[in-house]
Amino acid sequence: MNKRVLIVDDAVFMRNMIREILAGAGFDVVGEASNGVEAVERWRELRPDVTTMDIVMPFRSGIEATREIVGAEPGAVIVMCSALGQESLVMEAIEAGASDFIVKPFKPEEVLGVVRKVLGVA
Amino acid sequence: MDLSKYLGLFVSEAGEHLAKLGQDLVRVEAAGRAGEPMAELVDEMFRHAHSVKGMAASMEQDGIAQVAHRAEDLLGALRGRREAPRADVVDALLAAVDALQGMVDAAAAGGRPEPDAALLERLAARFDEESGEDGAARDATPKRVQTTFVPPPPEPVPEPAPVPESVPAQKADARRRREVRVVIGPGCPVPAVRAFLVTRKLSLFGELLEVQPSIEDLRAGRIPARRVTIALATEQAPEVLVAALATISELHSVEVDGPAEPRAGIDLAAADGASAPAAAAPSREPERAEGARTVRVKAELLDQFLDALGELILAAARIREVGKTIPEPFRPPLDEGVNRLHATVMDLHDKVMSVRMTPIAAVFDRLPRAARDLARRTGKQVEVEIRGSDIELDRSMLDAIADPLLHVLRNAVDHGLELPEARERAGKPPSGRVEVQARRDRDRVIIEIADDGRGMNADKLRRAAIARGALAESQAASLSETEVWLLACLPGLSTADTVTEVSGRGVGMDAVKRSVEELGGAVTIESAAGAGTRVTLRLPLTVAVQPVLLVRVAEEILALPISKVHGAALVEVERLERRHGAPVLSHHGVVVPVHDLGALLGFGAQAGGLRSVVVADADGARVGFAVDALLGEEEAVMKPLAGPLERIGGLSAVTVLGNGRPVFVLDVQRLVA
Repeated sequence: MNKRVLIVDDAVFMRNMIREILAGAGFDVVGEASNGVEAVERWRELRPDVTTMDIVMPFRSGIEATREIVGAEPGAVIVMCSALGQESLVMEAIEAGASDFIVKPFKPEEVLGVVRKVLGVA
Repeated sequence: MDLSKYLGLFVSEAGEHLAKLGQDLVRVEAAGRAGEPMAELVDEMFRHAHSVKGMAASMEQDGIAQVAHRAEDLLGALRGRREAPRADVVDALLAAVDALQGMVDAAAAGGRPEPDAALLERLAARFDEESGEDGAARDATPKRVQTTFVPPPPEPVPEPAPVPESVPAQKADARRRREVRVVIGPGCPVPAVRAFLVTRKLSLFGELLEVQPSIEDLRAGRIPARRVTIALATEQAPEVLVAALATISELHSVEVDGPAEPRAGIDLAAADGASAPAAAAPSREPERAEGARTVRVKAELLDQFLDALGELILAAARIREVGKTIPEPFRPPLDEGVNRLHATVMDLHDKVMSVRMTPIAAVFDRLPRAARDLARRTGKQVEVEIRGSDIELDRSMLDAIADPLLHVLRNAVDHGLELPEARERAGKPPSGRVEVQARRDRDRVIIEIADDGRGMNADKLRRAAIARGALAESQAASLSETEVWLLACLPGLSTADTVTEVSGRGVGMDAVKRSVEELGGAVTIESAAGAGTRVTLRLPLTVAVQPVLLVRVAEEILALPISKVHGAALVEVERLERRHGAPVLSHHGVVVPVHDLGALLGFGAQAGGLRSVVVADADGARVGFAVDALLGEEEAVMKPLAGPLERIGGLSAVTVLGNGRPVFVLDVQRLVA
């Protein structure tokens, strides 16, 4: 069965891009969310294998959403989408339980590499 | 990856972020002055700049990303402040917003714009000032090159208490000290963060005894030779630790060893390469994910929808007319079909109109910025309060009122508001207020722009109008108060003591009144010397469909916009009282001059007898038009006049009746001007 992905980003643009990369490589993009509050709701409802999570978002940051999700399900796999210059935030997200991260701007193979690796699928 | 298909989305989304950033910048200034909390606003602005930077970098628009990055830095430096940002900081950020929008436009046209070096310099200079002043006191943020984000006050790091090396061995036999050596891959842009992730992952398997470089160094981005060594007290075998780290990307190599254990290790570089095959060809079928709930549509497409619908409405009406000519037995099925067609078309019309309805925020949101810029230029202070931004208007109406509204606002700031000293002398707060409000009143939208400035002087207006020859002295004296204020709309009339950069060019109140009336709306002005001026615009919701009154004159059918019609009367024109040689009608106590519409249009005067007189509004004055018959009201799809017809005075548009007959819509003002 294909691995199920939830994409969280406040920019439609970024969501579309990540969706194309992952869907094109055979992942099942089961849902999207545009802020931290929605992210937690969608995660509870969908229980995806992996979640890509933007850090800077309205209402609730990706870090807070990650903390809540991993707090509820320590096995949750969350990959942070960060930008150069957000190092301290990424570290905060890692402390909150993020499994890995990608740095924007990213290449499709980088996204796929990180997501596959974090899921243990070659 | 082919980025071009993302261009449209990038342009519109970046544009939205920039528009909001611009608005927030104006709001934050006002909030700061009023002593209101600004933290959320600053965070939001930071987020907008950050989003633009991220998107631009992903689109390989490095120039845009660079400018956005500097703006983000500067906004980051404003975080945690209590006082309003300095005006020159806001100026610099607004300049950045404008420049970025220009660059995004250039990107939309296929360009890859370079950043303006002077702007980058300016943003950097403001950043240095802002972060230098009390930046050191705030926290030990490294310099701008290193970080774009001023982190919230650092929480105490959940660092494990230092454990003497001997303790684990004493505490539990199962735990051994293992040393994990990791080299971060050369492709990783943030090796310290990766190393931090490694320490975090390992901490799940035991106790961190020592990390080299230290956690603090990693947090600060220091990781010499991309190498990290972690001493761990753990029960786990080396293979388990290696396997755990195998899920982390961008590690060049991992080595684990400990006492009395064989060395376990793995060279991950090869595996990394293997795990990144060329991405499979992107699927052509777009994923039906949640994002597909809304779509973006080009505005022109909506205009075309409406045009096509207008044609459809006319075609349906035409079929209905033709149906009346066929023999009775064949009519019921045709009528049924036509009725269904008509109902569907009207339903579609309503839906298209509702899609076209756009919140007036699209226009209102620009006003605070415009007022601020103007106030800055003229040495005034202004606070703009906007209410009713969510009121919706048809797109066509929004486009049409943008300029008139901006002009009324400029008048308010430029002519209405006084300089801060003058205001204080008059016992007012130094900062002037302009309230812009929209509200719905049945099928109309009312927009009010009110300032608390010096107001207008009725006598001055009268004298100026007389001086221009627009008014006789006797007339001036008999004007009602409402009429006096409207004198401000006379072409070329100005009572301003000084002509400023703004008032010296562009449209005046006369043009505002003219464009509002062309849209089927009306302008009223109220003013009180010393207390301010209020300009009220009453507008229909759309310009595309307007109710009209159909009249017949000399076998011609003509339409008058209902918005201009006050009433009608049935009279014998010959028997009317005459003043200055022209017949006048007393209508609700107002003396109204009556014109023969046929004669005005060059059809020749009509025979006497009982005739209908339509009383209409022309530039605030009442005027009567004698016609042969009133034919009733109709919702007319207005089509603008094209070609030579446009130049014919007295006509404003054309519409087509159900029977296919074109009917001209009259421009009441120009008919009698």
